[in-house]
Amino acid sequence: MKDKRKNIFQTGAIPADFIATSIQKHATNKTIGAHSLFLGQVRADAIADKTVEGIEYTAYEEMVMEQMHQLREGIFEKYPDLTCMHVHHSLGMVKAGEICLFVFTSSKHRKVAIDACEETVERIKAELPIWGKEWFEDDTHQWKINN
Amino acid sequence: MLNQTLKTVTIKVFGQLADITGRAEWQLQADDTDDLQTQMQTLYPALRTKNYLIAVNKTLISENTILNDEDTVALLPPFAGG
Repeated sequence: MKDKRKNIFQTGAIPADFIATSIQKHATNKTIGAHSLFLGQVRADAIADKTVEGIEYTAYEEMVMEQMHQLREGIFEKYPDLTCMHVHHSLGMVKAGEICLFVFTSSKHRKVAIDACEETVERIKAELPIWGKEWFEDDTHQWKINN
Repeated sequence: MLNQTLKTVTIKVFGQLADITGRAEWQLQADDTDDLQTQMQTLYPALRTKNYLIAVNKTLISENTILNDEDTVALLPPFAGG
């Protein structure tokens, strides 16, 4: 069930009904006993006396495709019992309170699904050439830093 | 024949580094990545204080790398996905 080079990006926020539909699609695979989902949401961080209104995401898309492919292969190698993995990341503007990252792993049992999901999220943040411009309400910006 | 060693490559600049350069993609001539970095830092001194990784043809490099015609060199500031 290893997906080949999928484009993980979609413009703007990831809507809740997209996530619901994605869960529903797995109903036909009755070997799955556990799903693990991670949803990244844009925070309205207060920095000095300003508040983040949204994050504008950009990426080196061609490189992300390659890095994500390697990441996926690595995860499936480490977790052979993983049934499937889906990754969706926003590009462009995502307002505070909206979802910008959706990672979805499924397996027969919970441990593999949970561990694979966590590791995928960590690796996405560390390895994919994606950047976020945090916009404030006064139209100034700063660049997002991952911890 | 100096020109025989100079290769025309595409440079791509992302994130806060593009704020410094004011442009995201263009072509320049360079022998290797060290040469390219020197040229870039001469053009844009503010780059000297920035942390970034370099990718040649979408692969990260960790040491000076010889360039070929039509290579793509990308300057990548710290990743901030998610």
